[in-house]
Amino acid sequence: MNKTFNINLGGYPFAINDDAYSYVQKYLDSIQNHFSDSKGCDEIVNDIEVRMAELFNEHLKGRIIISMREVNEVIAIMGKPEDFGAEPLEMQDNFSHATNETKTSLGTAKKLFRNPEDKKIAGVCSGIAAYFGIDDPIWIRLLFILMFFTVGSGALAYIIMWALVPEAKTSSDKLAMRGEPTTVYNIAKLVEDEITEFGDKINKWSKDFTSKKG
Amino acid sequence: MEIKLENTKAQMRKGVLELCVLSIISDGEAYPSDIISKLKGSELIVVEGTLYPLLNRLKDAGLLEYNWQESKQGPPRKYYKITNLGSMFLDNLFETWQVLNQSVNQLYNLKSKQKNEQDI
Repeated sequence: MNKTFNINLGGYPFAINDDAYSYVQKYLDSIQNHFSDSKGCDEIVNDIEVRMAELFNEHLKGRIIISMREVNEVIAIMGKPEDFGAEPLEMQDNFSHATNETKTSLGTAKKLFRNPEDKKIAGVCSGIAAYFGIDDPIWIRLLFILMFFTVGSGALAYIIMWALVPEAKTSSDKLAMRGEPTTVYNIAKLVEDEITEFGDKINKWSKDFTSKKG
Repeated sequence: MEIKLENTKAQMRKGVLELCVLSIISDGEAYPSDIISKLKGSELIVVEGTLYPLLNRLKDAGLLEYNWQESKQGPPRKYYKITNLGSMFLDNLFETWQVLNQSVNQLYNLKSKQKNEQDI
């Protein structure tokens, strides 16, 4: 059994499977992100939605529900936003040099979060380190400790930030914390990382458990 | 090696695509899906998504404009039309294209001629 949604895509009604729905959603989000700096962003996304709706109608060939199969077919025709290659003319010269740079700057703006994955107390320091792109949060931690002994306000500053700075809970929060754009590929990568990490944790637990028992 | 070739091809297509899209629209009002079907078969467009940001950019530059027209099959459709500025831009682009095309052919012919002479 599979859950379906009723959607309005570019003015056409569709029924779409749960998994296919979230994939289309992520695909459209990644386009939105890619063009977030252009002023015609919403218009481009709308135009693309209309075209996708037409393609779905062609590819459904009388079937009633959109599944991953049609989604994959249609996305293969439309292409990934990275392959559109239609940057403004002024940008083309820089584009060949700075592909990576433009890609990150087209993404979500960096936001300050507390990092729950690397924390000593509440993840404030590693969140700050991620925000400034510092590899090792130890330097920020040292700075806070230094502030604690010299000015005496290190602890207070830490507590205030603990209260004010939100924890990075969702996948897109974690990407925004590092200033990476939310794209389908990034989210997929993050989910993969989390699954491996989870697997490692379980292994560790079971090891601890057996060693305690023994 | 292959990746590099693809890059160069993509760069070439980019400029020519603009010329072709303007040229298709200058024949009369066009709906994006019609433009795509005319471009298909040519090697100009690899993924369809390329067209939409391009149309948007040409519209912002004042080379194209669009109006909404009712459709029998679905929601109203956007039909694109070329502006006067767009026609001038297209003529200019086309001249440049012809010059480029000629020069490339000349250079290439010259090269193959020399090669033939060497072979003899």
